[in-house]
Amino acid sequence: MIGYVAGRSPLHRAHPYTTLSLAAALLFAAFAMTEPLTVWLLVLAGAALAATGGVLRPGARTALVVSLPVWILLFVLYGLLGAAPRAAVGPLQLSVPGIERALVLGGRVTAIVLGFLTALATTSPHRLVEAMTARGVSFSRTFLLASTLTVLPRLRERAARILEAQQCRGLRLGGSPLARLRALGPLALPLILGALAEVDEQVLALDVRGAAAGGRRTPLDPPPDSPPQRALRWGLLALVVAAYGWKFWRMRG
Amino acid sequence: MTPRVTLTGVTFTYPGGVRPAVRGLSMEVAAGEIVAVAGAAGAGASTLLLVATGLAPRLVGGSLAGERAIGARRSGIVFARPWTQLTGLCSTVRDEVAFGPAAAGRPLAEVAAAASRALHRLGIAHLAERDPAHLSGGELQRVVVAAALALEPELLALDDPAAELDPTAADALYALMPSLAADGAAVLLATPDVERAARVATRALVLEEGVIVADGRPGDVLPPTEVGALARAAGCPAPYPLDVPALLGRLTPDAGRRAHDTTDGPPAGSGPSTSGTAR
Repeated sequence: MIGYVAGRSPLHRAHPYTTLSLAAALLFAAFAMTEPLTVWLLVLAGAALAATGGVLRPGARTALVVSLPVWILLFVLYGLLGAAPRAAVGPLQLSVPGIERALVLGGRVTAIVLGFLTALATTSPHRLVEAMTARGVSFSRTFLLASTLTVLPRLRERAARILEAQQCRGLRLGGSPLARLRALGPLALPLILGALAEVDEQVLALDVRGAAAGGRRTPLDPPPDSPPQRALRWGLLALVVAAYGWKFWRMRG
Repeated sequence: MTPRVTLTGVTFTYPGGVRPAVRGLSMEVAAGEIVAVAGAAGAGASTLLLVATGLAPRLVGGSLAGERAIGARRSGIVFARPWTQLTGLCSTVRDEVAFGPAAAGRPLAEVAAAASRALHRLGIAHLAERDPAHLSGGELQRVVVAAALALEPELLALDDPAAELDPTAADALYALMPSLAADGAAVLLATPDVERAARVATRALVLEEGVIVADGRPGDVLPPTEVGALARAAGCPAPYPLDVPALLGRLTPDAGRRAHDTTDGPPAGSGPSTSGTAR
């Protein structure tokens, strides 16, 4: 699950700035937390956010796939090669402070990825554009942000189409890792060249339709905002500031 | 009539191009004209459209020599591949069509009215609430044309606009062009579909290797269709009819009208179809 998933959850219905603020707060808070317990509370918060958005299962699965390589690396670097004291876990001698450190870093990555995926899955690019347009943000900035949010699903869709076409021409995807690596060539080249060619034409079409005009666009259907949502966003900002204040106060102490 | 675009000795070369894509172009397109641009693939028809709308070299890059005067205050362009012309940011067809007027900062009521007019003109009002990402190629092409019309362009460049359309929808799109011209737009139409172009165009240009080799009435200058070749072989005087309704119309006006009624689908727009007019 990488990309917008249509739905009617509270996060889908919320103002896009609120959903993005929740994900951003999770990100900043993750870096403010230094204890395994607090970091893992944030992972739980990320899971709660995904559940609220109705995307817990696919979100958790994708977050696991994305953060697994990081977990393995952290386990080797800190758990196996970390400093003493060590504890025996089966045949392994694991570094106790190393494992603690790995839990903090890995938890951060998992919480951030979960929050980011949830925001991506529940924020409609169209509503985000409308919200930004209503606030007077220039089209180039809204387009840049919305395109960033939609680029992965679009590339994945295009890659699937190219793969189907190449398989029809006899491309085999199974076999050894080397064979799989070789299969990347017929996928990557048309994927990149096709995307570049289409971008050229899209730039022309958007320009003619006034995208680069620079004036203020008329919002067509701005998503509704509300005082409680605005209060929540300010509250999240205050929480993040407080978390960093607490972190620096503890570092000084 | 007011010229929407005037080119005088224009030569354009793409960035990194060894030779010009178009050379020594001199032409004028006035309000109310429908100019068909024909030529083999690579002859420079698409480039001519980019030059005439001011997109080349401003966005395309490359170099332009000669004089170009664009009198149109608003231009629209439609390419053959509709999926490359979507904003990718709109969740409904209505918003996609309204994008241009909204970008101009027009009041919401005006934007909605312009989008609604364009949707009705293309006969796709029923698609208004659909997601553009889930439309067929033909539906998408009509959405893209509607998006261009919503801009109320004074110069409309169409690059093979019926490439994704079925014959009925293609007929309907071509039938719309005279009404656009009647509203004061200049239409520049690059297409390999000589038969349909000949039905609606008021003038035709033929390009060969980037040079205009013929400029005149469609029946005189467009490459002969099979019907045209038959008419010529049968000893019909020039200009030769380019499609069956025109040939029948030449022979017997009543038969021509009947043939036109059966071959053309219902026009999508409010404009009168000129199909089957005797040439």
